[in-house]
Amino acid sequence: MDLLKGFGNFLLKELKELVRDPKILLGMIIVPLLMFPVLGGIMSYSIQSAQEKAEQATVLVVNNDGGNWSTSLIAFLNFSARVSVENNKVLDNNTILELLANYNITYLIEIPEDFSAKMNQHQSNQSVIAYVRFYGAFSGASLFENIGSSVIDNLIYQFNRHWAPDSVAINKSTIIKGNVVEGVDPNILTTLMYSQAIAMPITIMILLTYSMQIAATSVAMEKEEKTLETLLTLPMDRFAILMGKLSGTILVAGIGALAYMLGFNYYMSSFTATFPAGTSLDLASLGLVPSVFGYLLLGISLFVTLLSALALAVIVSAFVEDVRSAQSIVGYIYPLIFIPALALMYLDINTLPLALKILLYAIPYSHPIIASKAIIIGDYLTAIIGIVYVTAFTLVVMYLASRLFATEKILTAKLKFKGLRKREKTPKGEFQ
Amino acid sequence: MSLAVEAVDVVKIFGEIRAVDGLSFNVKNGETFGLIGPNGAGKTTALRIAATLLLSTSGVMKIFGLNVVQEAAEVRKIITYLPEEAGAYRNLSGWEYLEFMAKFNTRSKDEAQQMVNEAAEITGLGERLKDKTKTYSKGMKRRLLVARALMNKPKLAILDEPTSGLDVLHAYHVREIIKRYVKEHNVTVLLSSHNMLEVEHVCDRVALINKGKVVAEGKPSELKEKFGSANLEEVFAKVIGLA
Repeated sequence: MDLLKGFGNFLLKELKELVRDPKILLGMIIVPLLMFPVLGGIMSYSIQSAQEKAEQATVLVVNNDGGNWSTSLIAFLNFSARVSVENNKVLDNNTILELLANYNITYLIEIPEDFSAKMNQHQSNQSVIAYVRFYGAFSGASLFENIGSSVIDNLIYQFNRHWAPDSVAINKSTIIKGNVVEGVDPNILTTLMYSQAIAMPITIMILLTYSMQIAATSVAMEKEEKTLETLLTLPMDRFAILMGKLSGTILVAGIGALAYMLGFNYYMSSFTATFPAGTSLDLASLGLVPSVFGYLLLGISLFVTLLSALALAVIVSAFVEDVRSAQSIVGYIYPLIFIPALALMYLDINTLPLALKILLYAIPYSHPIIASKAIIIGDYLTAIIGIVYVTAFTLVVMYLASRLFATEKILTAKLKFKGLRKREKTPKGEFQ
Repeated sequence: MSLAVEAVDVVKIFGEIRAVDGLSFNVKNGETFGLIGPNGAGKTTALRIAATLLLSTSGVMKIFGLNVVQEAAEVRKIITYLPEEAGAYRNLSGWEYLEFMAKFNTRSKDEAQQMVNEAAEITGLGERLKDKTKTYSKGMKRRLLVARALMNKPKLAILDEPTSGLDVLHAYHVREIIKRYVKEHNVTVLLSSHNMLEVEHVCDRVALINKGKVVAEGKPSELKEKFGSANLEEVFAKVIGLA
């Protein structure tokens, strides 16, 4: 256990340093924990209040028709909303503004004088359409200010159906894992699953980039603050230093990711709350929620990927002298995280051309996302193969990182961006 | 008397630069030995090799008979190293920093606490030890780090420019810490400095280094007498042919 002697002491120091760093505490934990719930809260409040306002608002109908059909329409509207009626008004700019102001409303409906006549003509000639006019005020104050327009759309749609009920309707079914599930609209199911398919890659993307930033910062900070030299002369195995750095980062990044996921979940739920009634589906009963074993595989996949990303961040940050350079140099690895995450958000890997498929499978950071999709449909083999591949990659990167720490290169290695002509002759040996 | 440090023909090459070029010197147990010379003479490289941070290109360095490469882990148990311009962890208090460092030297909580108490006294920082080190001045930080390097009574303390960049008062305080502690606890010290006047007051023996080589070695008083100089600065100038 000499290999890990001093690990606990070092890990404690790492955690204290990381958690007390205001940049990390604010950027990684507090901001995501507050930002997403606040955003979600604002969204659901805006939608809800606009809906309530639209439902409670008076619907002003200016009836210039006076026929039977306009009376029927007003009676129908009155059934679902609070309706006020003004008869026989010529609507010009001033009159409309006056009416909106008098009734303290943002929209009104006009039934034109030929409405009943056209409705009657429609019975014999389907191409004749009767119109009502909708006037809505635009102030640009809120994204949802014209939700009233949708309310009227809905009421008119219902009136149409009431007057001429549809004779053909679609009864939708979905085939899930080879079984036909009746009454489930695949479109709604896809929409629901899609919101989750986005959440996972985004979470993984954020977790990997955040933790790589922390790991790189933590190594570069030791160099910038000139504490690394002291650390390397302490009676502690250098593998313990590497493990302490990685573990400290994983713990802090884990808390950060949890904070992010909690916030993001709340944010996403504020959208699904706005789905039309009757579209809520129980994904668990449809078998579309991973099993415990699936979750375990996903956890392992995520852990080994995280470890390899961190070890890689430690390696590259050892080649620079300060925090800013470390954070920039880690940025060169980001495309390997972003590209598969974004690609797999929109694409099904199984339908891609072979070359692209190989490319995505070759990038280790694709695998937790591939695994997250595979375990939902019960394809555990794909997840397991991915874990084996990423573990092998992780072992190679960890080995390189531990070699780097065991030699003097951790102190002397410098990346030469301009011309690699003169390479430092450093002894190949390492300390025992 | 056994040798605390034995350097034999040590060479260190960076690219095309021979930072250390056949350096040989011995440090006896219990003495304070100074490597002195101008900036770029190879002092820091030599100390980093002794502290198991750098591998020499050729030659041998031993600390109390232990090879600094083959027995690096053993060497690290008996030395402490204070790098030039070293920092402390910004978000730890001075007290926490000392506790963190003490725990590497002992598993006993009491012993660690004793070390920290002693170091706290050496620093003379009092209540300020409870503050985070990022609030310390350069002098305060250096006092903390020197105390850290001495608190576990190492067999060999390697101090690189211990008073570099400090004002007169802080430099005086640090020098006094070193002199007092070495005498009280029989710690061997290998230090480097480009301030030759200062070294005269602290070191029992010195080696003058120029371009990676030892150009003169001995007690400061002997060297001054030998070269008929008033101080080590003059000795150095004469040795390298400047005076």
